[in-house]
Amino acid sequence: MSQLNRRSFIKLAGSAGLLGLAGPPLLAHGATKARVVVIGGGYGGAIAAKYLRLADAGIEVTLVEKDPAFVSCPLSNEVLAGDRSIDSLTFGFDGLEGHGVKAVQGEVSEIDAANREVKIKGGGTLPYDYVVVSPGVDFRWDAIDGYDQAATEAMPHAWKAGPQTLLLRKQIEAMADGGTVFITAPPNPFRCPPGPYERAAQIAHYLTRHKPKSKVIILDHKTRFSKQGLFTAGWKRHYGDMISWVSGAEDGKVLAVDPKKGVLITDFSEHKADVANVIPPQRAGAVATRSGLVDDSGWCPVDQRTFESSIHKDVFVIGDSCVAGAMPKSGYAANSQGKVCAAVIAARVNGREPPEPSYVNTCYSLLAPDHGISVAAVYRYEDGNIVAVEGAGGLSPSDASAEIQQREAVYQRSWFRNVTADMFT
Amino acid sequence: MNTRNLLRLFTAAALLLAAVPAMAGDVDAAMVSNTCAGCHGTHGESVGAAPVIAGMSEPYLKSAMMDYKEGTRYSTIMGRIARGYSDEEIEAMAGFFAAQTWTPGKQELDAELAGKGGALHADKGCAMCHGPVGTAPSPTVPNLAGQFAEYLYYQMRDYANPHAAIPTTAMVMRPMCQNLSDEELMSLAHFYASQQ
Ligand SMILES: Cc1cc2nc3c(=O)[nH]c(=O)nc-3n(C[C@H](O)[C@H](O)[C@H](O)COP(=O)(O)OP(=O)(O)OC[C@H]3O[C@@H](n4cnc5c(N)ncnc54)[C@H](O)[C@@H]3O)c2cc1C
Ligand code: HEC
Ligand code: HEC
Repeated sequence: MSQLNRRSFIKLAGSAGLLGLAGPPLLAHGATKARVVVIGGGYGGAIAAKYLRLADAGIEVTLVEKDPAFVSCPLSNEVLAGDRSIDSLTFGFDGLEGHGVKAVQGEVSEIDAANREVKIKGGGTLPYDYVVVSPGVDFRWDAIDGYDQAATEAMPHAWKAGPQTLLLRKQIEAMADGGTVFITAPPNPFRCPPGPYERAAQIAHYLTRHKPKSKVIILDHKTRFSKQGLFTAGWKRHYGDMISWVSGAEDGKVLAVDPKKGVLITDFSEHKADVANVIPPQRAGAVATRSGLVDDSGWCPVDQRTFESSIHKDVFVIGDSCVAGAMPKSGYAANSQGKVCAAVIAARVNGREPPEPSYVNTCYSLLAPDHGISVAAVYRYEDGNIVAVEGAGGLSPSDASAEIQQREAVYQRSWFRNVTADMFT
Repeated sequence: MNTRNLLRLFTAAALLLAAVPAMAGDVDAAMVSNTCAGCHGTHGESVGAAPVIAGMSEPYLKSAMMDYKEGTRYSTIMGRIARGYSDEEIEAMAGFFAAQTWTPGKQELDAELAGKGGALHADKGCAMCHGPVGTAPSPTVPNLAGQFAEYLYYQMRDYANPHAAIPTTAMVMRPMCQNLSDEELMSLAHFYASQQ
């Protein structure tokens, strides 16, 4: 948490005198042109806040984040391997304040779109002209029988980085040699499509060195997965038979759990796990649901050209929570969406037409410390949808040499440094 | 807010204005260029190892993107990215990044290696095209001074590799790099990177 300055991060929760907060304009010169509230200081929200200020310093931007600092999910699988500290994934909001963003700590209870205000838990409201919502995902607590909030203490999801990541790491470290780590992978759509499979590799990387008789078994809801060919070949090469994957078509769907006994239950079997990492099915962040921004799918429909909610005017939803055509739910996608959304709001504030949007995504995965793979795409807006540009993007080649695999691992860490600098400096 | 941020703000604002009006179908330079920042840093000011592209000369950035797009330059990822942009978009990005200020990459370097690299740079004729310390004397030659060492090393590995596609403009360096050992390539990379 080295980069966090607690003092400058105004604590909102429970404080009564909130009303004045959004009042005075941030810049001495020039009047405030508009007030924008950004909910969530992660991959989408931090970018939207910063790029709004870069586009027009006359826009007052207040970022509301419930946690004292942001912990990145990308590269958190390296924490499970013991190769990285959680501190290296933790970021404060000083850099954003340097851009004139007002960062406040508080949990948004809901957006009152009729009255154009954001309500903070424990009291207080923030009035807005536009609001950007980027709260990440929530879990479908009703999807797996027995998997509730309390169960996460015995069977961590570690799908939001922080204490859950450290808990899973502790369990893996405590496991005896010869034990079995189960990972349950959710149905589509979910945050970070290659994530569970990178996680299997990172856990196996640790086990190979410290507990070589152990196993990693992925019980999947799906019948295929992201970068499958590259993952399967990489697992085999680095970890032999340590990792196995059970397809949803072959009894891989976990329907219920017994956290006390460490048991995972599918249609036809019961698996006793030494460590159980349950990655539950997902939906839009809870604040989006509470604010009436989701449809029957559990996700937020938006105008994919602007990210304005199809349900509430002047409310924009970006990142994991929104439905963004061909784009996956990833950190880079949220970054790219944050920039499109910021440009749209800046254009509106200034009475201009928004620019033609352009979006990108790349997801790197680490199969081993010196073996990276990637999948990329460039997107445009066409007939109401975000579509991938044909002929661009795609996967790392399957016949890449060891030298190139190592380069991709270097560039994955480079991506992490640059994308977080883009957010927080 | 410090002066640097203020300056940046003004640059960004000026660029935004330059790109207006953006009618549907028009290319907005900031919009397309900001897509690159996830890997190359805000405004192209990479914190490494991906190359710094802020302040890169307009003709060089454009030719690099066209080479990636056409497959005449080997890359781990840039080919897949560059094929997603039209020639007009690449044109607009080249203008955007050329308007930024080159920020030398902060990195840990080996002074001894850098010293050896400096001697090689002078002895092997690199200075002919790259100037005495790697600062590009011509807009079609990239600036090496303050670029990230890892990236420069990879690039020279590709020049030496007969199976890696490189543009015709880089062909002169193929035999030169093939005649240098791996350690010598690394020394050169550390030398250029150390020219902050
Ligand atoms: C293990 C793992 C590995 C991953 N690896 C990669 C990768 O390599 N590359 C990649 O591109 N993506 C990766 N991802 C995906 C990436 O983490 C997400 O897609 C990304 O974080 C989405 O951004 P977001 O802004 O929607 O949500 P987040 O980044 O999660 O940000 C949401 C923020 O909102 C805050 N918040 C939520 N509700 C409220 C509220 N009511 N009030 C105030 N604040 C609130 C949260 O505390 C959080 O800080 C990975 C994910 C996982 C789990
Ligand atoms: C997913 C990460 C990623 C994205 C996105 C990306 N780059 Fe790159 N870029 C790289 C990497 C890595 C390299 C080194 C070559 C390689 O292996 O692909 C590179 C190399 C380059 C170079 C060569 C620099 C030199 O000195 O010759 C240029 C120019 C460049 N990128 C421009 C861009 C532009 C413009 C964009 C936005 C359209 C962009 N890049 C988007 C990762 C990225
Ligand atoms: C005849 C002129 C010439 C000579 C001599 C020359 N170079 Fe280059 N160099 C170039 C040009 C032109 C490019 C850009 C190639 C392209 O368009 O991709 C380049 C690119 C490079 C790059 C990649 C930079 C980047 O950002 O991608 C490196 C590294 C490099 N040269 C190192 C060397 C070294 C080391 C030597 C001496 C051994 C050398 N060059 C000699 C002309 C030259």
